Amino acid sequence: MNSRITLIRVAAGLSLAAALVFTVTAARTAPSLSASLVSGKAQLVSAGPLAFGPEGVLFVGDSIGGAVVALDTNDHTAPRSTVKIDVQGVDAKIAALVGVTPDQILINDLKVNPISRNAYLSASRGKGPDAMPLIARVNGSGEVSLLSLDNIPHSSVSLTDAPKANPGARQNPRVMTITDMTYVNGNLMVAGLSNEEWSSALRSIPVPFKTAEQGATLQIWHSSHGRYETESPVRTFVPYTISGQQYILAAYTCTPLVKIPVSDLKPGAKVKGVTIADLGSGNQPLDMVPYKKDGHQYILVSNTALGMVKLKADSLETYKPIDSPTVVDVAGVPYDSLGNLKNVQQLAQLDDADAVILTGKPGPGPAYAPGPAVGPLNLQTIALP
Amino acid sequence: MGTAAIAQSFSIQSENGAFKVAGWSAPLTEPAKGWSSVFAVYAGSAAVPALDVPPLLGSYAVEGGSLVFHPRFPFASGVHYRAVFHPPGGAAPVEKIFDGPPRDIAPLARVERVYPSSDVLPSNQLRLYIYFSAAMSRGEAGQRIHLLDEKGKVLPGVFLPGEELWDPGFRRLTMTFDPGRIKRGLTSNEAMGPPIVEGKRYALAIDRDWADARGVRMLEGFRKSFRGGPAERHPPDPAQWRVTAPKAGTSEALAVNFPTPMNYPLMERMLQVSGAHGSVAGTVSVDRQETEWRLTPREPWKAGNYKLVVDTGLEDLAGNHIGQAFDIDVFDHVTEHIAGNTISLPFAVR
Repeated sequence: MNSRITLIRVAAGLSLAAALVFTVTAARTAPSLSASLVSGKAQLVSAGPLAFGPEGVLFVGDSIGGAVVALDTNDHTAPRSTVKIDVQGVDAKIAALVGVTPDQILINDLKVNPISRNAYLSASRGKGPDAMPLIARVNGSGEVSLLSLDNIPHSSVSLTDAPKANPGARQNPRVMTITDMTYVNGNLMVAGLSNEEWSSALRSIPVPFKTAEQGATLQIWHSSHGRYETESPVRTFVPYTISGQQYILAAYTCTPLVKIPVSDLKPGAKVKGVTIADLGSGNQPLDMVPYKKDGHQYILVSNTALGMVKLKADSLETYKPIDSPTVVDVAGVPYDSLGNLKNVQQLAQLDDADAVILTGKPGPGPAYAPGPAVGPLNLQTIALP
Repeated sequence: MGTAAIAQSFSIQSENGAFKVAGWSAPLTEPAKGWSSVFAVYAGSAAVPALDVPPLLGSYAVEGGSLVFHPRFPFASGVHYRAVFHPPGGAAPVEKIFDGPPRDIAPLARVERVYPSSDVLPSNQLRLYIYFSAAMSRGEAGQRIHLLDEKGKVLPGVFLPGEELWDPGFRRLTMTFDPGRIKRGLTSNEAMGPPIVEGKRYALAIDRDWADARGVRMLEGFRKSFRGGPAERHPPDPAQWRVTAPKAGTSEALAVNFPTPMNYPLMERMLQVSGAHGSVAGTVSVDRQETEWRLTPREPWKAGNYKLVVDTGLEDLAGNHIGQAFDIDVFDHVTEHIAGNTISLPFAVR
């Protein structure tokens, strides 16, 4: 099916971005990342979003623990040929390893090690506050193994602000739930949603982690029709290069997809993304994979209600941020709805031509917000369409 | 305990979370194919050949001449474990099923309270905070929480899908109304309108079938009826707040009254009182449907000058915070910039 979506070129509104120099933009001669990690027990309370950095280092977002942990996967061998993963019932296999029924395994994220092309899954053993964090590795032979967190080179950075003076409080109920992370130019960008206040910041943490350095924060805003501005948390994002310039391609919690030049991501800045697509109501983008095929740019987007969508992204090349608050441009950008790729729960790039998907029937609940997928969950390589 | 298919004099025992092969003198060196080729423990009471599931992770040791398997993860309640021993020499395998700890199936969770507690919510209400009496399970909110219209019909697409925002104890869930429908000018807002319409009646319904952290349904469901009120478009204005100072020498509560309800969890932590000797310790309470904040001091008030210190992140029900509305209409007014992260309201105790 070939459909069209509304594409809005959004006015940037008030001139808010201060001209500061931001370390994100500076390509740095970083010290060896894996050498900065120290062996020992990685204190993970939960395992949520994943991101790979250089040298096979895996960043794990721990929302309940209020931290990001960098783990050395010790997985540095490049494959001899394209990795074809095909594991049926990966949830049942993980459940078997840890001694529970498959319904007690919640898979939280999927990423591929860009060196070894092995797939990594973060998961929970159990569904309550005592759930145990798991990091599973799936190789091209379909073997499922668990990373031992008891003795692994690691380092962590706390995302928790200094505790407020509240002597009566028992356990601090505030949690910044990490919704996504990505590694760009020596920094880990971390997006989160607070369970208390709405206003939230995108954090940029220099890698390797330094003690007590939580990184610069910046406010992410969204403007609609050049008129209404909202501080708008980012839900999912990926690095993206357009004409040699580094962007992040982000989906807000209020649905629109935007592009943000990394050079705009300055400490303390109010940053507004330029909307490239508004996928509309009753839907949430889950994961995005930008890629190039036959000389054209595409973005593969997995969604809750809309399913898998392939955005034809060549026109992004010509988009420029607009400074005037009054300019509104509405245009249509074609996309293909990929009906053959159903029930995609997780999507991750494998290499230039392939992706890995985790599929399973959506859990009970409304189509735009289904519960965790019902097993068996299958992990497989697909060619980028 | 389950059944056993005993062969020869071998048996499998479970003690202190480990599994032991009794009646077999284990060699001191591991077989070429690993101990797991001889002895393995599987989750589930029956093999599922189609799935080809691996055995439990764990470590092996020869203790007192017997082979012992120590699982890496503790037993889970309600799960059966199948231990299989393959005696060297080709004798028939020995299999025994063990049960994890029994599941406690007595319901004990209920919804204790929901904020905002008012029965009128602004049409751009941003969040709900649901407090449970026991730790709950993740992954069920989308199917267990419903907003019903006045005819009892479930309204679709009301809440923000995605990650469930729990506190660390899984006893408070934060639900966010879809900001794409609240925020003016977006496709969702224009196609569907705001989730709540002024003047209409609604009910928040929470199903009893929601599983607590043990997997047991709740004691009872929950229902809260409310009416849609006008949208709140302006940031809270501290100049409109009324601070009622207590009398010196008493332990009366200091009361701060707001013209409209504020965000409950933020009221609990974003207001403080400081005096000549620093922060005033005491007990905070929130009353009158989140329009009143009270601080009862631990020590009687001393006469003097005090100030109420407020984090500018304090939000009203619609996500407007001090100095900044949730969605700013850039044509109507210029954003007021508040320097710093707190504001102070002075008062005197006499």
